[in-house]
Amino acid sequence: MLHTILFYLFAAVLFIAALGVIFSRNPVHAVMFLVLAFFQSAVLWLLAEAEFLAIVLVLVYVGAVMVLFLFVVMMLDINVERVQGGLTRYAPLGLVVAVVMVFELVQIIWLRGQANTETLGFAATPEGYSNTKALGAILYTEHVYAFEIAAVILLLAIIAAITLTMRRRPGLKQQNISNQVAVSAKDRVRVVKMDAESNS
Amino acid sequence: MAEFLQSLMAYWESFPADLRFVVIATMQILAVTICVILTVAFTTYFERKVIGSMQGRIGPNRVGPLGLLQPFADVIKLLIKEVVIPQKSNRFLFVIAPLLSIIPALATWAVIPLSDGFVIADINAGLLYVLALTSVGVYGVILAGWATNSKYAFLGAMRSAAQIVAYEIAMGFALVGVLMAAGSLNLGDITRAQAGGLSHWFILPLLPLFFVYFISGVAETNRAPFDVAEGESEIVAGFHVEYSGVAFAVFFLAEYANMVLISALTAIFFLGGWASPFEGWSFLGDDSLLRATSFFWLAAKISFFIFVFFWLRATFPRYRYDQIMRLGWKVFIPITIVWIAVEGVMAWLHVGPWARLAS
Amino acid sequence: MGRSPRMLQNYVPILIFLGVATGIGLVLLALGFLFGSGQKDAEKLSPYECGFEPFEDSRMKFDVRYYLVAILFIIFDLEIAFLFPWAVSLDSIGGFGLIAMAIFLTLLVVGFIYEWKKGALEWD
Repeated sequence: MLHTILFYLFAAVLFIAALGVIFSRNPVHAVMFLVLAFFQSAVLWLLAEAEFLAIVLVLVYVGAVMVLFLFVVMMLDINVERVQGGLTRYAPLGLVVAVVMVFELVQIIWLRGQANTETLGFAATPEGYSNTKALGAILYTEHVYAFEIAAVILLLAIIAAITLTMRRRPGLKQQNISNQVAVSAKDRVRVVKMDAESNS
Repeated sequence: MAEFLQSLMAYWESFPADLRFVVIATMQILAVTICVILTVAFTTYFERKVIGSMQGRIGPNRVGPLGLLQPFADVIKLLIKEVVIPQKSNRFLFVIAPLLSIIPALATWAVIPLSDGFVIADINAGLLYVLALTSVGVYGVILAGWATNSKYAFLGAMRSAAQIVAYEIAMGFALVGVLMAAGSLNLGDITRAQAGGLSHWFILPLLPLFFVYFISGVAETNRAPFDVAEGESEIVAGFHVEYSGVAFAVFFLAEYANMVLISALTAIFFLGGWASPFEGWSFLGDDSLLRATSFFWLAAKISFFIFVFFWLRATFPRYRYDQIMRLGWKVFIPITIVWIAVEGVMAWLHVGPWARLAS
Repeated sequence: MGRSPRMLQNYVPILIFLGVATGIGLVLLALGFLFGSGQKDAEKLSPYECGFEPFEDSRMKFDVRYYLVAILFIIFDLEIAFLFPWAVSLDSIGGFGLIAMAIFLTLLVVGFIYEWKKGALEWD
């Protein structure tokens, strides 16, 4: 009972936050609403007992992805008129995406209904069960290929990010610390022995 | 009197179990929070005394005996100061930003085991929760810098964000090493994995990670020598340049609470938390207080690390920004990756705390 | 309390704690606005920069380097998220899991070296 109440409470906040993302005029407010939305989804996942995923959602999305979003949004010159002009331009595309997603959702819910699975609850977890451990036990053994593919994708992401954004500004003076450390006194200072000048 | 107490107990028992649970939890939470805030108050006093004596000064000595009431005087002063909200700032975010930095700094204490068996929320994924909340703390700084709409604040916020981000990775990798040794994400279990005296503490097998973790912690909290975010000689006060009165006090509280938190976490991950260093010394007698696990050991370790924070501040000049980034990315991350590899090899060979690997 | 009382019950205090922390912050700020004295005037409320009215919005375009750092941070954060369950379940996945992670980490290190050699970690 409490479970259900909590679910609807957090789902409602999630819904409002999502609306806030769309309707905020200030992009930074929109990003903050998105952060709130991620928090609420994390709580919903927690209610579904996906402990690890819930906290990783906060860790990765709120702690990392949204920081990038905030960086980008904060440093844009915010021009509200231009942003609103984009709405009509991108509306058709957005509509198509929305229709596809609705279709998929309906299909999943419909399939679930057809399959007549027991949807009333998950299997009870044994004493001392740790969601993270259980996940680890299969991720690195049964799903090892998917895991390694993830590594390759992350590697690709590193390379792509660097090739897309790396710009070297010419003419910058740089400090090369290993060169500095490797220097020894005799490279820099020369002691010259000079005889005292005689007064002639 | 006894009858009255009994009737009170009976009344209490008549509440539904869920409600009693919530009430007890709230009481515990309030107690812990008040303790943390008091610790923070005296940490500021301690800091001024320690740095004072390191620099041959006396430090605060006017308010109360030995100046002990100084923190309260400071609090009252900050409370009655005007909170200025600059005209061109974003008012809403300007007020929200200090909140966003205090909430994670306090809420992380929910999973910190204060003594054997006392922790507010004994969750399985405790360490993940700690890491997740620490990563949320960066919002306070970024939003404060942006909402203020001042160049100093904005520069401070950007600096601090890039710095926190770099050191968070080093911190995460260092914690992976701790996890490999402890085999659990629960902070209580991590402490229990180090039971058995000084030689069982993770500081010995994980010495490089210990240094990486603690120094990253100093950088994460924007403390000297990594305090470029507020470097007063360059950008005045960085992200909180326009904050005054109580809004500033909240940022201040968050910074110090984070400092105490990092000290507590370091003690738990590497120094056995509540465990006594003399646990294995049987000649002290079986029921010697020195060998018992207690909250006071944890408190002593926390105090020591807080002292190290001040020591660092009094000793080192401020790092240059590119050197900070270099230390985080090019020194700490390689060290941690190498050490994870070393631990992997040791697990393969069944050495040390990693012997539990199934073959 | 729902289906699995134990696990969720452990999270109830966290929820309360988040609430208490928010409450403390709000109370402090409210006290400040309540007791904080002083009159506002135009000079006091002007941004603290250099005595001039600022000519423009202080939020400026920043070096793209910051975006790069943020992107790299996301990637490494994900790697950490992969490492955590591995480190915890070391005792059940055995040597196979160890090798799987060795390959994963090698790929990560290749990326890291690439980053280093390209100079993405330099600040100048």
